[in-house]
Amino acid sequence: MPPLEVILQQAFNGLMLGVMYALIAVGFTLFFGVLDVIHFSHGDIFTLGAFAGLSLTFLWGAVGLGNPAVALLLTFLGALLLTGLIGVGAERACVKPLAKAPPLMTLLATLSLGLVIREAILIFYPRGADPKPFPAMLPQGLWEIGGVVIRYENLVILAIGAGAMVLVDLIINRTRVGASMRAVAQDAEAAQMMGVNLNRTVDFTFFLGSALAAVAGILNGLYYSEIHFIMGIMGGVIGFSAAAIGGLGNVYGAILGGLLFGVLQTLAAAFIPRGSEFRDVVAFAVVMVFMVFKPTGILGEKTIERV
Amino acid sequence: MLEVQGVSTRYGQISMLRNVSVALGEGEIACLLGPNGAGKTTLIRTIVGIVRPVAGSILFRGERIDGLKADQIVKRGIGVVPEGRRIFPKMTVEENLRMGAYADWGTREVESRLEQIFDRFPRLRERRRQIAATMSGGEQAMLAIGRALMGRPKLLLLDEPSLGLSPLLVEQIFEMIQAINRQGTTVFLVEQNARKTLALAHHGYLLQKGEIVGAGTAAELGESDIVRHAYLRA
Ligand SMILES: Nc1ncnc2c1ncn2[C@@H]1O[C@H](COP(=O)(O)OP(=O)(O)O)[C@@H](O)[C@H]1O
Ligand SMILES: [Mg+2]
Repeated sequence: MPPLEVILQQAFNGLMLGVMYALIAVGFTLFFGVLDVIHFSHGDIFTLGAFAGLSLTFLWGAVGLGNPAVALLLTFLGALLLTGLIGVGAERACVKPLAKAPPLMTLLATLSLGLVIREAILIFYPRGADPKPFPAMLPQGLWEIGGVVIRYENLVILAIGAGAMVLVDLIINRTRVGASMRAVAQDAEAAQMMGVNLNRTVDFTFFLGSALAAVAGILNGLYYSEIHFIMGIMGGVIGFSAAAIGGLGNVYGAILGGLLFGVLQTLAAAFIPRGSEFRDVVAFAVVMVFMVFKPTGILGEKTIERV
Repeated sequence: MLEVQGVSTRYGQISMLRNVSVALGEGEIACLLGPNGAGKTTLIRTIVGIVRPVAGSILFRGERIDGLKADQIVKRGIGVVPEGRRIFPKMTVEENLRMGAYADWGTREVESRLEQIFDRFPRLRERRRQIAATMSGGEQAMLAIGRALMGRPKLLLLDEPSLGLSPLLVEQIFEMIQAINRQGTTVFLVEQNARKTLALAHHGYLLQKGEIVGAGTAAELGESDIVRHAYLRA
């Protein structure tokens, strides 16, 4: 049994990872809830978000933007917008045209798109094959409470992640476009009969999910101080697993699933000898056991539909 | 108000409606009768733009609406009570009603309409925070009608609103439709219950296997051999 402060430390670290996973998972779950599709290039959209953020930091440097808070804000806003629009493009190219085709076609199309995205970064981003250092844009420094180290920047990452999730909740439950998403998720034809523009709702859903992936991508860069063109493979698999644990289509389940996965990974590292090498194995094993016993996920059915 | 002219539709390769024409004047109640599978629901779905006609045209208040998207069509003033009611099961009663006024979302107008609907259906007011799926069939039927009225439709399309309800509730629904019509809404009512429907409607159409096989005033239809044979075998 490791000492308590190690467990707490790992749990905190797990929460950090979990927030990022949750942000990716919410996208998966939104796409599935509204459109019944699994968007397999979503992990690579997450990568694109990180690269968009990184490119923007260079831009701010080039134009001499001094204020770090403003630079951070603009990095997020710019990357969200860009990645959100790319997500809409992905949907228009690989999902909507195949709406009436067998689901396998959408799977293949989105998997291929993921490959295209990765290759595009590899080829077009300068020295795209190398890991890219991500600048530290958050306040540095730390607290130590009873042997547990809490970095300021990690708190900011948590706050941004939590803020994004609260915002999604408000959008889904308090706005007109959110109501249209819930309506389409529950009964697309009835929604149209009430005057919902189906295409616009689907576009917005992909914009929102992809923008959240961009938040996750930038947070990932800030947390690890580097990003890599293949980071979306693992990010996608974990995000999808988290969404599945929570119950595909259920936003709160996806958040819970993401946090759970992050904490599982880090606790595995703490509890199991050489656990840091096996943390993914352990986390995925738990997911598999979980899916066997509760295949509908923690919170069950689709509830983008209802809170 | 509504003119469906020579409309044909198909589901994939299968031809469904063939050369269907229907006309509704302002303020009327017209009905569409026909056996299961005749294509009644398909006609409703075609009018609101869920199904695209392959031939013919549809005019609403003098303007062509065939070819428009569903949301553009209903925005012009068409309210729908779809077959099976299709309320949003996981939304509350109030959220369902608000969906009916989706085009005017967030305006003060919606609040006053909501009050009017609650005045008309006190039961819905009592249950406004209840999840719609947990309501009884009769309440769901009221909700579906209330939701359609939230958009202040000039034309109300009802696809078998009384299906599966007890005779007492059916009576209530029919009275409600009459009241809605008296307040100025044109009504197109799809039903299988010919006797009650003909008592309510001014005129009607008979659809069989995708074709209109009879049309006339309610009295004429009631006298016609096809209707008497198929529906009024008393
Ligand atoms: N989406 C669809 N795809 C293919 N066939 C359909 C579809 N919807 C209905 N049909 C078929 O069209 C026919 C007419 O159905 P419908 O319009 O629902 O008739 P009604 O409302 O008069 O009972 C039925 O035979 C039904 O099986
Ligand atoms: Mg029908």
